[in-house]
Amino acid sequence: MKRMLGVTIWLVLALSSFSPVLKAEVVIVNPKLVDLELSQTTLRAIFAMRIPQWPDGTPINVFVLDDQDPLHIHFCKSLLGMLPYQLRRIWDQQAFSGTGVKPNLVNSETEMRQRVATTPGAIGYISNSKIDNTVTALGAS
Amino acid sequence: MKTWLWTLLFGLPLAAFAESPKERAASRFQWNGFLSQAFVQTSDNRFFGDSDNGSFDFTEIGLNGSYQLMPRIRLAGQVLSRHAGDLYSGSPQIDYALLDATLFSSAQSTFGMYLGRIKNSIGLYNETRDVAHTREGIFVPQTIYFDKVRNLTLSSDGFHLYGRLYRDSGTWSLQAGAGYPIIDKNLEYAYMNQDWDGEIRSDDLAAFGRLLYEHNGGRWVYAVTGASVRTDFRAGPADSIAFPNGPGLNSGNIDIDYSVFSVQFNGEKWQFTTEVAFQAARYRDINATFAAQDFNAIGYYSQLSYNVTPTWQGFLRYEEFQLDHDDWNGRKRAQRNIQESAFLADFGIERSPIPAHAYYSKIWAVGGRWDVTSRWRLRAEYQIIEGTATLSPRENDMSQSDKYWNLFALSASYHF
Repeated sequence: MKRMLGVTIWLVLALSSFSPVLKAEVVIVNPKLVDLELSQTTLRAIFAMRIPQWPDGTPINVFVLDDQDPLHIHFCKSLLGMLPYQLRRIWDQQAFSGTGVKPNLVNSETEMRQRVATTPGAIGYISNSKIDNTVTALGAS
Repeated sequence: MKTWLWTLLFGLPLAAFAESPKERAASRFQWNGFLSQAFVQTSDNRFFGDSDNGSFDFTEIGLNGSYQLMPRIRLAGQVLSRHAGDLYSGSPQIDYALLDATLFSSAQSTFGMYLGRIKNSIGLYNETRDVAHTREGIFVPQTIYFDKVRNLTLSSDGFHLYGRLYRDSGTWSLQAGAGYPIIDKNLEYAYMNQDWDGEIRSDDLAAFGRLLYEHNGGRWVYAVTGASVRTDFRAGPADSIAFPNGPGLNSGNIDIDYSVFSVQFNGEKWQFTTEVAFQAARYRDINATFAAQDFNAIGYYSQLSYNVTPTWQGFLRYEEFQLDHDDWNGRKRAQRNIQESAFLADFGIERSPIPAHAYYSKIWAVGGRWDVTSRWRLRAEYQIIEGTATLSPRENDMSQSDKYWNLFALSASYHF
């Protein structure tokens, strides 16, 4: 029994460390935004709320899930190469010194997809499996 | 705030607003706020109120708004109420009120300008030093971010230019500008030991600048800050009475140059921050006693933090401040004070000499925090302290201050 438990724990740990395979996510944008190719550097600047506009002049509207949400944590680490607390610190320092604003917070992936689909200039992220034709998925670069 | 600045700040956006009154989306407006209450207990000396008996006199409340007036123009302002012992009463102040104009922006860079009352970006923490959840402990490190004289460099009325470069290796940010510092009585206590009949004003423009580099998404952060402030002391009638019947002070200046060097590492579990500050103060034309008080101060701290879980964190910090690097541990000043007291006694003026330990501080701090929810945070902190340079003469008779003391504090903070 003890050994079974040991094996189970090992399996869970092993699976969670390979979670990129299990839980891939993708950056999505409002479908009116066309021909976008965003490097990791640009994504970092956008999600740090440092770039106010798209090249065509549309204001950028950033949507994120809660800091503790597993998808948010995974998005920060794998697509931005940052830690959630680093983004939070940048947002807070900007929002509480008047030099910037915080992103829009959504409660679920469904809400994320719906808000990105309906807000001009919106950008966010969802699991691969949640993508539909209401939003444009960007290829990871 | 100077009248022309107000005119520019509110005249310009109103004119722009008149052109495009339609299309107002809710997302263009944003509110944020915070509230924090601390309890401070010290073994000796007073820090933020009657702390030797336990003090609740450290309360911060703030509310800010940001409005995207046009794609390239944004307005932002914050009202702050800060009660900090005898230093601040808690009466609401305009913390910042600015116009942010984006002059140029692309995927590679952003350039713009802030106009109005602007928080000065000094070191890593000055801009949001009063927002509890952005600090790394209950207090900002007092050896660099002095609370006894925070207003000198806190904010100023003027303009800042900023530029950011987004490179694959990291982000470069430069912010520099000029303005009139928002000065208060605490400056007089900190730099002139007491409240004189006259006052210190800021009639001259001060200059600020910071270059910050965030390597690899902010894994490593490096910053260099410079600030130069000239304050004007206007002697009052009682100050001008010649010695020995009065203090014999003239109107003059106190020139202060401040520079900070910062390095931070942000790992998943471990964070390390160290900052060093140099301050040169020069007293000009006030009188010979003050001229002899010119100093070159050095302050630094190193903090190691560990995230036990994303919601539990502990830290250990060492800080040190020396008022004059040519007078380490204040020995020369203490001797001079004894001679001065003896000299004054001949004229029947009684003044206890200020001891050496008032000119330095050495602090070990250990603390922890727990994020109860994403909006509520609880903190506890313990400090073992030698020296009283971080204390304000406004709250303490420095000649009677205790050399060895310690501090225990608890705080609860909320933000949205």
